[in-house]
Amino acid sequence: MAAPLIELDQVSKHFFIPTVRRETVREHVLGVLDPRGSQKLQVLDRVSLALAPGEALGIMGRNGCGKSTLLKIICGIYQPDAGRVTVRAQITPILELGVGWNQELDAIDNVCLIGSVMGLSIAEIRRRMDSILAFAGLEEFANLKLKHFSSGMGSRLGYSVAFEAVRDILVLDEIFAVGDVGFRAKCERRYRELREAGHSVILVSHDPRIVSTFCERAVLIEGGRIINEGPSADVGADYLRLLAS
Amino acid sequence: MRDLIWTLVRTDFKVRYHGTIGGFVWALLKPMLMFVMLMSVFSFLFAADPAYKLNLIIGLFLWDFFAESTKVGLTSLHAKGFLLTRARMPAWILVVTSISNAVITLVVFSVLIMVFLASTGHPPSIAAVVLYVIYAAALVLIVVGFSLGASVLFLRYKDLNQVWEVLTQAGFFLAPIIYPLGILPERYHFYLFLWPPTPIIEFSREALVRGVVPSLTAHLYLAGVVAATMIAGVLLFRRLGPRAAEYL
Repeated sequence: MAAPLIELDQVSKHFFIPTVRRETVREHVLGVLDPRGSQKLQVLDRVSLALAPGEALGIMGRNGCGKSTLLKIICGIYQPDAGRVTVRAQITPILELGVGWNQELDAIDNVCLIGSVMGLSIAEIRRRMDSILAFAGLEEFANLKLKHFSSGMGSRLGYSVAFEAVRDILVLDEIFAVGDVGFRAKCERRYRELREAGHSVILVSHDPRIVSTFCERAVLIEGGRIINEGPSADVGADYLRLLAS
Repeated sequence: MRDLIWTLVRTDFKVRYHGTIGGFVWALLKPMLMFVMLMSVFSFLFAADPAYKLNLIIGLFLWDFFAESTKVGLTSLHAKGFLLTRARMPAWILVVTSISNAVITLVVFSVLIMVFLASTGHPPSIAAVVLYVIYAAALVLIVVGFSLGASVLFLRYKDLNQVWEVLTQAGFFLAPIIYPLGILPERYHFYLFLWPPTPIIEFSREALVRGVVPSLTAHLYLAGVVAATMIAGVLLFRRLGPRAAEYL
């Protein structure tokens, strides 16, 4: 069997949440004599998982269970405190795409910006610009500044760029939860195309139907640990039991 | 990576100047107006110094670059943070490219300085221009070092930009921009030179206006300031940079 594309070995991550949050120089200077406690929040606790080539893995769990932190560690945006992350292929993350455009730039320039952050060359972006805008259904707004866009239009544009930029592995955070029905159908079609082309996927969702439809295998996370792993339908059923308990 | 750098520089230019040359010229009006104002008032005060306006334009334009670029560099990671949380990318690129627009302005300022010098009957020699370019490059490096360190600190201390604004306002008077260094007693000069813009401005004036090459010690000192700022900035960035995304 080929080596896994992504391997996480005993990965842990915690954040310190100060009881009093000090974010400014002024607060630090004025509060220098006050003792300040902090609370350790263990977001991920010795998580191990592997993604095989061509596989689609679902990650399920309640809000705040550590799903998004796990994704950011897999994508290299956060550093783990302990454990090892081995990535043997290029990852295209689709995270929080609805937010954070440069509002003062038009759609074309924003596509250039995000596209080049995702690793596309300028030539590639130019070549794919029309299909990116068409996928988002925003051809007629190409020269409109993003501040005049609705939030739905912004997310659509984000997914369109990311879907064009896919390298080897696609990492999706709650993707099928945004956009209208028509756009969702388009995303699903594109998703299936990518799967047929052999791309591997990691998909996060708290909807068991989505995970069992789009993934073969899934893991269930609770309190920062993997508590179940197996065929996505079984893990999904387990997740529903967890929610009911 | 080259494509990413170019895209960041290009879009930054577009945002700042609305994508037009007119917008760029518009942005130059502020320092030019400052120069005309200060020259009109202070050349009476320092009427005894025939080179006052030459010294003023050099000091003011170099200062303007320093103030503007450090302001932008300090907030760069925060301002471009939305890119950091989307994909794995080297964060230093965001900091360094944020200064690019100020560097373009510095180049234009430098040409204006040369034109002004020549038109007032003081055309600088080639050697003087070369020295000036070295000092300007040193200033850019100082700003890069500062920005690397300050940008990661700003994510943790959200009012650092206000603190820096106060410091730069005070720093404008600490550096000998609107007054000649000579009006202060010699024993204070050392302290003024601790403020990095001072040696840059003074050495540039030595070369361009007085036609003198600063001493070897002066150059070694400047190299030390550049190295210290860069090392401090890079070390801070290497230490705090990897966790920058967690503070956004």
